[in-house]
Amino acid sequence: MASRTHVVCFGNELHADDGFGPAVHAALSRTKLPEGVRLMRADAASPAAIDCFDACDAVVVVDVLGGFGEPGSVHCLPAEAVAAECGAGHGAGVGRLLETVRAALPRPPRVRVIGVEAARLDAFRPGLSAPVAAALPQVTRAVMEALT
Amino acid sequence: MARKTLGIDLNRVEGDLEFEVDLEDGRIVGARCIGTLFRGFEQLLVDRAPRDSLVITPRVCGICGTAHLYTAVLALERLAQLPVPPQATLIRNLCLMAENVQSDLRQTFLFFVPDFLNPRYGDHPMAAAVARAFQPMKGSAVLGALGVTRRILQVVAIFGGQWPHSSYMLPGGVTRGANARDIVDCRELVESTVAWLEDDVLGDRLEAFLALDTLAALERWLAEPVRAERAMTLFCNFSRSVGLDRIGGGARTFLSGGSYHDPDSWGPPCGEQKTLLAAGIFEADGGTLAPFDPDRITEHVRHSWFRSYAGGRHPFEGETVPDYQPGSDRYTWAKAPRYGEQVVETGPLAELLAAGDALCRDILATLGPNTWLRQFARLRRAARTLALMRGQVDALARRIGEPHYRHPPEGAFEQGEGFGIVQAARGTLGHWMQVEDGRISRYQIVTPTAWNASPKDSAGRHGHWEQSVIGLQLADEADPVELGHIVRSHDPCLVCTVHFAGSGRRFRYGV
Repeated sequence: MASRTHVVCFGNELHADDGFGPAVHAALSRTKLPEGVRLMRADAASPAAIDCFDACDAVVVVDVLGGFGEPGSVHCLPAEAVAAECGAGHGAGVGRLLETVRAALPRPPRVRVIGVEAARLDAFRPGLSAPVAAALPQVTRAVMEALT
Repeated sequence: MARKTLGIDLNRVEGDLEFEVDLEDGRIVGARCIGTLFRGFEQLLVDRAPRDSLVITPRVCGICGTAHLYTAVLALERLAQLPVPPQATLIRNLCLMAENVQSDLRQTFLFFVPDFLNPRYGDHPMAAAVARAFQPMKGSAVLGALGVTRRILQVVAIFGGQWPHSSYMLPGGVTRGANARDIVDCRELVESTVAWLEDDVLGDRLEAFLALDTLAALERWLAEPVRAERAMTLFCNFSRSVGLDRIGGGARTFLSGGSYHDPDSWGPPCGEQKTLLAAGIFEADGGTLAPFDPDRITEHVRHSWFRSYAGGRHPFEGETVPDYQPGSDRYTWAKAPRYGEQVVETGPLAELLAAGDALCRDILATLGPNTWLRQFARLRRAARTLALMRGQVDALARRIGEPHYRHPPEGAFEQGEGFGIVQAARGTLGHWMQVEDGRISRYQIVTPTAWNASPKDSAGRHGHWEQSVIGLQLADEADPVELGHIVRSHDPCLVCTVHFAGSGRRFRYGV
C-alpha cells in the first residue's frame, strides 16, 4: 500500500494570525500535491480532530506558533516540541491534541509541525499581520518539501 | 477582616471562562462568573432567511452542534406548523443521544477526574488506583473513553455526514432516511459503547445499574468486591472520601425542558411537547415536581455587558445588544436567565430528577445538592441514554421505507414565530425565532451554560454557579482544587476562541 500522508491546517481566519493555517490550506489547495497526500482543514484542535490523524502514516500539521522565535519566523518542529498546555477551549489546543492522538490511536502517525511565529492574535480581527503573511510562501514550500 | 480577590484559572476546561472569588479568611464570600467572549450569533441571524439558522446555529458550539441544529429545526417547524415523519424524529433523537453520550463520557474522564490526581491527594489511599484509571492520556478509563466517544459519534456521521457542525435536519424531516445497513451499523456502535461501559465503568449489566433506586442500594452495589477497581466505583468512592458530596450545592431548583421528542406525537399544533424523558421543574426542598412552562423564562442583563433594560424579558421580547462597560458593576458577556424569577440549575441531574430517576431523587433527598451527585448524574445519564438508544434503533428499524421528509408548503416561513427546546449535553437549550416578510426579525438563544453560569440578575440574585461556591472554605488559596471540582462538575462551556500552538507560556485572549 502506498504511503498516506495528511496535511492538517489548523486555525480560524477571524482571529488575525490564527488564520495562518487556513491561508496555507488555501495556497496548497491550488497546488498539485503528491499522490497519497490528503489536505485537510480543522478550525479547532479539539478531540473531534483526532480523525484527521487516523488511517495514515504521517501527518504534517500547519499552525501559527507562540513562543518559538521572532514574529514571522518559520519553524519545523517535532510533535513533542509543542506544549500540551497550550491553547484554549475544552482542553483543546494542538499540543493537547497531539498528546491525545498518541494515546488514542493504536498506530499513531509520524507528526511534524510546520508553522510561523505569531505577531498578532486578536480575537475577531481578521487579517494576517505583515510578518506572518510574508512567511506564507516559505511555509508552503516547507510543506511541499516535507511531502516529497 | 481582610478581603482579597482571586482570579481562578479554569483554562483546562474553557479558555473564555474566568471565575473570580472574594475571600475572607479562606472562605468564599463573593463570586463572579465571567464569560469573556461576546457570542453575537443572535445578531448574525437578524435579516437572514429563516432556514439559515440550520447552518449558522450549529456553529455556536463545537461540542453540542447537534443540539443547536435540533433546536433550530423545532423552532422552524413550530413557526410553520409542519408535520414531521416519525422516522425523522427517531434519527434526530439518535444523533442527539450520541452527541450527549459523547459529551458525558468525555467530560467525566477527560475533564473532571484529572483533578483527582492533584498533589493534594498524593497520600490518599486510593491514589494508585485512581492514577491507573484516570491519569490523563494514560489511565485505562481515559483511553477507553477516548475510543468509545469517537465511535459513538459515527452515528451522527451516518445520518449527518459529519460531526460537529452538521446541517442534516430540515423543517419537515431529515436529509436521508435509514436503511438496513444503517441499522446494523448503529446497533454495533451502541452495543460496543454499552460493552465498554459495562466492562470498564460499571462492572455490571446496564440494566442492573439503572435498576438501583436508593443511595443505600448504590452503596451496597459499590461495595461488591467484583467492581472494586471499576471506574464508577473509583469515581464515587474517591469523590465522597474527599467530601465532594458535601460541597457545591447551589440553586435548589432544577430545570429540564424534556429530552428527545416523541416520534409519534411531534407535529402540529406543536403545543406542549411530549418527550421520552419528561420536562419539569424539580424542587430539592420537598422533592416536588411542577410542569415546565417556557413562557416563564426571562433573561436579565443588569450585570451583563449588554444594553440595559429593566427586569427580565422573555426571549420573544428580548434583545442582545452589546454594551461593554469596563469598570462598572457589570462583569460578563453572559445574560442571566431566570425561570419565573427563580435561579435554577440545569444539566443531567436536572434531567434525571424531572424524568423521575429514583436513585438521583433519593440521593438528593438524603445528601442535598452537591458536586458528586451532579457528576454522578452525568455518568448515569450516559447509561440511561444508551438504553434509550437501543430502543430508538429498534423503532427506526421498523420505520425503514417510510417517509423521512415532508416538503414545507410554499411561503411557509414568511411570517410568524416559533421556538424549540431540547436537552443538550449541558442542559436545557432554547431558540426563539420571529420572522417578518421572510426574514428573521429576532433570534434569541438561551444556552444551558447561560442558565448555570449566569451573573447576578436585576434583583441581585447570584447565578447558580456563583451560589454553588459562595460559603466554600478553601484549604489552600494557592491551589483551590475544591473550587475546580465544583465548577467542572457543571461541564462549563462558553464559546471557543483563539487557539495556537505554543511553547508552554500561558496566554489568554478575550474581548
